[in-house]
Amino acid sequence: MHRAQRRLLVPAAVAASIALAFTGCSSSNFGGGDGGDGASEEGPIKIGAVLDITGVGANLGVPEQNTLNMLSEQLNEDGGINGREVELIIKDNQSTEDGAAKATTELIENEQVDLIIGASRTGPSLAMRPLVEAAQLPTISVAANAAIVDGSEWVFKTAQNDVVVLERILDDAESKGYTKVALARDATGFGEGIAEIITELGAERGITLTATESFEPNATDFTAQMTNLRAADADFVIIWGITPSAGLAQAAYVQIGVGKPVYQSHGVANNAFFEAAGDAAEGVIAPMGRLLVADQLDADDPQKEVIDQFIADYTEAFDSAPSSFAGHAYDAWKIGVAAIEEAGTDPEDLRDAIEATSDFVGISGIFTVTPENHSGLTADALILAIAEGGRWNLYEE
Amino acid sequence: MTDFLQLTAAGLSQGSVYALLAVGLIATYTVRHVVNIAQGDYAMLAGLGSISLVSAGLPLPVAILIALISVTLASVLIERLVIARVKNLTTLVSIILTLGVSTLLQSIMLLVWGAEARRLPAFPGEDLLIGGVSIRSQELWMLGALVVVGGGVLLFYEKTRWGKALRASAEQPVAARIVGISPAVASVIAFAIAGFVGAVAGVVSSPIYLSIWSGGLLLGLKGFVAAVLGGLVSFRAAIVGALLLGVLESYVAGYVASGWKDAVAFFILIIVLIIRPAGLVLRPNAVRV
Repeated sequence: MHRAQRRLLVPAAVAASIALAFTGCSSSNFGGGDGGDGASEEGPIKIGAVLDITGVGANLGVPEQNTLNMLSEQLNEDGGINGREVELIIKDNQSTEDGAAKATTELIENEQVDLIIGASRTGPSLAMRPLVEAAQLPTISVAANAAIVDGSEWVFKTAQNDVVVLERILDDAESKGYTKVALARDATGFGEGIAEIITELGAERGITLTATESFEPNATDFTAQMTNLRAADADFVIIWGITPSAGLAQAAYVQIGVGKPVYQSHGVANNAFFEAAGDAAEGVIAPMGRLLVADQLDADDPQKEVIDQFIADYTEAFDSAPSSFAGHAYDAWKIGVAAIEEAGTDPEDLRDAIEATSDFVGISGIFTVTPENHSGLTADALILAIAEGGRWNLYEE
Repeated sequence: MTDFLQLTAAGLSQGSVYALLAVGLIATYTVRHVVNIAQGDYAMLAGLGSISLVSAGLPLPVAILIALISVTLASVLIERLVIARVKNLTTLVSIILTLGVSTLLQSIMLLVWGAEARRLPAFPGEDLLIGGVSIRSQELWMLGALVVVGGGVLLFYEKTRWGKALRASAEQPVAARIVGISPAVASVIAFAIAGFVGAVAGVVSSPIYLSIWSGGLLLGLKGFVAAVLGGLVSFRAAIVGALLLGVLESYVAGYVASGWKDAVAFFILIIVLIIRPAGLVLRPNAVRV
């Protein structure tokens, strides 16, 4: 091999491999972790959280981190739980499955936490499930896919199930006489199984799925998927993902000029959607909790008082309005803390107490958890919202 | 056919960003034999910086101008504080050094701007619809930036006395010094160009692709693949290679599966390194100095 060749080959190969290695695993751990001294009935109650603070889930994990920090401060100012201080340990899983598994193991083995909250997204939550089931540790996920709690013993979750979200979308589509739908879905856990659910629920409503495309949550260009959706010739489109990717997909969809109505999931229930989608957000309909349309709720709405208080607290603390994801964290924290107050930190008792949660008025809905339903929410927890004028508004069906 | 052209248009605009980064990489490689891993971070830094300036109330052009100048200065500062301090700088050492710089820049961006992706307002202009193919005005800005800035750097290096002097200082440092070319000045100019070009890539692409603290590494790597197509010395081949890479990624996403998109660049890199490690344009047995 000639010198000239070798001179380029070696550094090029090194640069590529280093850069590749680092794309996957750069960045740091956030918050928490100031060396635990072992759990006991005397010391502080330890609550761990595994959140997608950096990486593709940042739009979810950051407000969740804010919320948990705020609530734990509030709780300790009010004297903790039954006089015991609460120590919150937040780990960043960097929006990866292996990051979530590693953080969970650390919380279980090194910190010996009494309860875990997280993760923010479905994929990392699914990675945590076998670990906490094996360790028999009560865990409340703040992600959406029903697979997280399907048949679980120790795992609960607070975000609305994908099935009920899709029911709301398809009901509305049916009422408008649509019969053909094209889907662009998140390629990770959150989008897993969505096409099958649409096919199943659509059959009852005379709606057929004509095309399915998927996109990576870290993608920046969505022209390819949207071009294929255009070719599918559907009456309406469902884009199923989280911000910012679902917002960028929306912008790409509007750009190529298909002009069919778009429904999105509760994964875009934040203001970051408008940052990512820009003007293209206008007219999108999405089922979500009541938080983002709190100012448009009836005065006698049972959730209004809780939501208004949370918005006031969060806005004062962080100078920005909370997203639905902040609400999922709020619900997980409040349900967990209420259960510890009642049952203490014995894992079995705590698990049973969470499972007995009934008529808890939260941000995302009114929760009644049962052994069969570890999600606790029904379709009533959702409203339909429409994107207009750079914010979500209550949509009159 | 419309779909094919639509995918091509999207690929070309994505490729123009890769091309600008490749130009920046070659600018420093030809002068100092430095492979600058932080090249993509310049783009994110400029994007995030201009977003902050816009939200502070500055008009878009002013914000962009300040961001471009700041990132250019930052690149010069990196050259003075890190690169210039090393005696006997080899390419391998430069990769490790700039990897450190990249990590530092990313950490700073994470601390200052947070973990969430942010977006610069779109530049003025009307979106076009030609025969069913939609082209955003911002994509024209991106391609225009490549023509003006990328082309400008290319002409500067190849046609002007200054540009020739820069390359001379890399190829014959002693001789260059004898005829009055300072290697230190040459190095500073090369890094200023790299910083400026990277920053341009960041601000023109932010309205479509967003800016995020961690986005630079993958972007820089794509630019690096394009630069390798040009043997790390040919601007022309690198620009063409970058546009091809963008278009190819777009076709793969459209016709195969979107999940394969990011694999395209690395697949090409491996193939090129095995078959034509000197790049696409140089004859493999040509003696480069």
